[in-house]
Amino acid sequence: MTPALELAALSSGYRGAIVVRGLSLVVQPGEIVALLGKNGMGKSTVLKTIMGLIAAKAGAVKLLGDDVTGEPAHLVARRAVAYSPQERALFQDLSVEQNLRLGLPGGRGDFAAELTRIGTIFPVLPKRLRQRAGTLSGGEQKMLLLARALISRPRLMLVDEISEGLQPSVIERLTAVLKAERDAAGTAMLVVEQNVGFALSVADRYAVLKRGEIVDEGAVAADGVAARVNRLLEV
Amino acid sequence: MAELPVSTPSRAATPVVPGPSRQRRLVLPAALASLALLLVLAAPELLPTYLVNILIRAFLYASVAITVDVLWGYTGILTFGQSAFFGIGAYAAGLVFTHVGFDTGLALAALAAGAVVAMIVAALVGWLAFHPGASPLYGSVITLVLPIVVTQLLYSGGNFTGSSSGLSGFESFELSIEAWFRIAGVFLVVLTGAAWIFVRSDAGRILEAVRDDEQRCAYLGIDVSRVKVLLMVACAAIAAVAGWLFACVQMVVAPEYAGFVFGTELLMWVALGGRGTLIGPVLGTLVLDVSTSYLSGALPFLWKLMTGLAFVVVIIALPQGFLPALLALLRRAWKLPAAAAALPPVTLQAAEPQPLSGLQGAGHYALVVEDVRRHFGSLQVLQGIDFHVRPGELLSLVGPNGAGKTTLMRCIADGAERSSGRIWLNDHDIRRLPPHACVALGAGRKFQNATVFETLSVAQSMRVARTRLSPPSMLRRATELALPAAALQVMRATGLDQQLDAPCNQLSHGMKQALELAMVLALEPSVLLLDEPTAGLTQAERTLIGRILVELTRDHALCVLLVEHDLDFVREISSRVIVLHQGAIVLDGSVDDVVHSDLVRNVYAGGHAPVAGAAS
Repeated sequence: MTPALELAALSSGYRGAIVVRGLSLVVQPGEIVALLGKNGMGKSTVLKTIMGLIAAKAGAVKLLGDDVTGEPAHLVARRAVAYSPQERALFQDLSVEQNLRLGLPGGRGDFAAELTRIGTIFPVLPKRLRQRAGTLSGGEQKMLLLARALISRPRLMLVDEISEGLQPSVIERLTAVLKAERDAAGTAMLVVEQNVGFALSVADRYAVLKRGEIVDEGAVAADGVAARVNRLLEV
Repeated sequence: MAELPVSTPSRAATPVVPGPSRQRRLVLPAALASLALLLVLAAPELLPTYLVNILIRAFLYASVAITVDVLWGYTGILTFGQSAFFGIGAYAAGLVFTHVGFDTGLALAALAAGAVVAMIVAALVGWLAFHPGASPLYGSVITLVLPIVVTQLLYSGGNFTGSSSGLSGFESFELSIEAWFRIAGVFLVVLTGAAWIFVRSDAGRILEAVRDDEQRCAYLGIDVSRVKVLLMVACAAIAAVAGWLFACVQMVVAPEYAGFVFGTELLMWVALGGRGTLIGPVLGTLVLDVSTSYLSGALPFLWKLMTGLAFVVVIIALPQGFLPALLALLRRAWKLPAAAAALPPVTLQAAEPQPLSGLQGAGHYALVVEDVRRHFGSLQVLQGIDFHVRPGELLSLVGPNGAGKTTLMRCIADGAERSSGRIWLNDHDIRRLPPHACVALGAGRKFQNATVFETLSVAQSMRVARTRLSPPSMLRRATELALPAAALQVMRATGLDQQLDAPCNQLSHGMKQALELAMVLALEPSVLLLDEPTAGLTQAERTLIGRILVELTRDHALCVLLVEHDLDFVREISSRVIVLHQGAIVLDGSVDDVVHSDLVRNVYAGGHAPVAGAAS
């Protein structure tokens, strides 16, 4: 099977500072992989490099077998890649509805049906369609961000710290939502998380990043994974 | 309580990193300044008279360009209006010399009058442009209108201002052209030196902090409007002095010198030379003004087109301007390290505590919230919130997303936020006070999104956070940074103390969170408002920060208001919990009351409600 995402010895970083070093990682279609690690270990940089927002210094990014290294972000996005960044990257002055409609693939699609689906996940959003996105509370903005990504029917979802600032019951629901989406559409997901509990409950596999390199990876189902990961994150 | 001097008790503990000493760092700039002075003093004998004449004008224009660079390049105030102040200074001389007469006393009186009028106008413009809540665009539009208004006044002044032809033929100092060259040249060199010292001083960092994030500055207790108005007034006075000198030398003043075309040219010179570098704008002005004088006669229309094209090319190819591009090229050629290495090493120290500095004693309650309501249009976000918090309480606010938690925090730290109701900080009514004044009453607010100063380093950000309690020097950069124990603890726990020189834009999200928390703690607040302070931090870092918060409340009688979703974290550290739901308090009690309530389980926690003793 062609992997949905393949990173081959990827290195990347900012002016003068290499943050990701020779990272190799594969995400199969229909697989959810959690990328874990302490702050400053390069998790967000990995996602930004896949998206083409930061230029890779070495190595390759492949989406469904196509080498997309160096491709600009808007072209990567057209390959049905949805990126929900850690910052609340919403159109703050547009309404909730306008933000959601921008998620429709090519601007077309059955918005009413999508809205019903989103309503079952985040009931608050359909009630707030006319409200300006910037006036939503912090957690509601996170929900809108994820809803917009889901509406775009992506083949690969890159999700950065989505659980941050969400109430526990919503996080719990999120686990089910992401798994259901994967089961229904075969979406591959790379989930960057600080919340180890949530990450391990949603993912099939995990990888721990330390100083830009993967120091441990494996199946989430294996015995004692939570303890093992927590230990790695403490040191 | 009286303000205590900041002392430096734990000096020996921190190792001193060897680096270039202050003396060595000043050698190159001092040598350059001396060389510039020498050139200015010797040049008139060597240069052709025409060039000497043109350079006098260019020196004075460059002096105004420096004020544009300080305002725009460093502080982010895009101003078109510096020409108006130059014109005011020039007309002060022209009007006095024409209508009153000329002698040295009158000339000095004209100088004083020009500077004072310019400062009054600048204060007025600043008041209009920088009132709290004004957008940057608003300020730019006002500075754009100012030169147009001044020019119109000059046009309509009839014989008094000479209307469109201006004033000429008045007496002035009888000095040789060489003497004027030296006066204008020394003025420029001294001004450049003074501006260089100021923008690199600790006080100069505040300008960049204001440019990066005005809101964060305000919540660090810095009166941003006042900083901007004062800067505007000082820059106006300098431009007026340059204008006065100009009128004395040229013995002619015309409305164009106050006009908006000149104001815009100044911006172009600054941008081409390299804004935010001081030297770049000076060189940009000198080169462009001199070449314009030589070439505009030979190529009257073509020259304007060429400078226009050059402007477009530089903006596209070298967005930083010419000087930074040139320096980068030289550095690469000589393989020198980047400029960041020039930062002086900073050592951390413990500061003497100054709790409630400037307040008339602490109150019985740290915080009183009485019937606070907030609505956005028809949307009721807070509907009558009442509670009291004593010093030493760690109160957690929990509730579903959208319950109004952040809005409540905002109302406590900014008097203008609530729709109705009253709030007291340490028994002081916050009335409608702006955020920086609430900081003086003891409020310290950390935002939900990590907000740090992107272009400053970690150490510089911490120093900006200390502005209120230990005012920074306008002349030098301190090598010691005295911080309260809590701020130091957070920095050590998260490793920020090892990254003092790191630019904030290179910090990870979690490190930015920690830095913002440290900055707020550096304010030595008595009511600490924390909006999800541990979001993006690892479990270990959360535990550490939790312990620090508990210590602060227990040992220093701090009152902490915490918004958190992690109920385990809340349970471990809180002394009291308030549950907010749809803008109202539905529960106010001990941790156990709240954790075991069915309401919380139903509307908030789901199956994840923590059971005592079990960690998720």
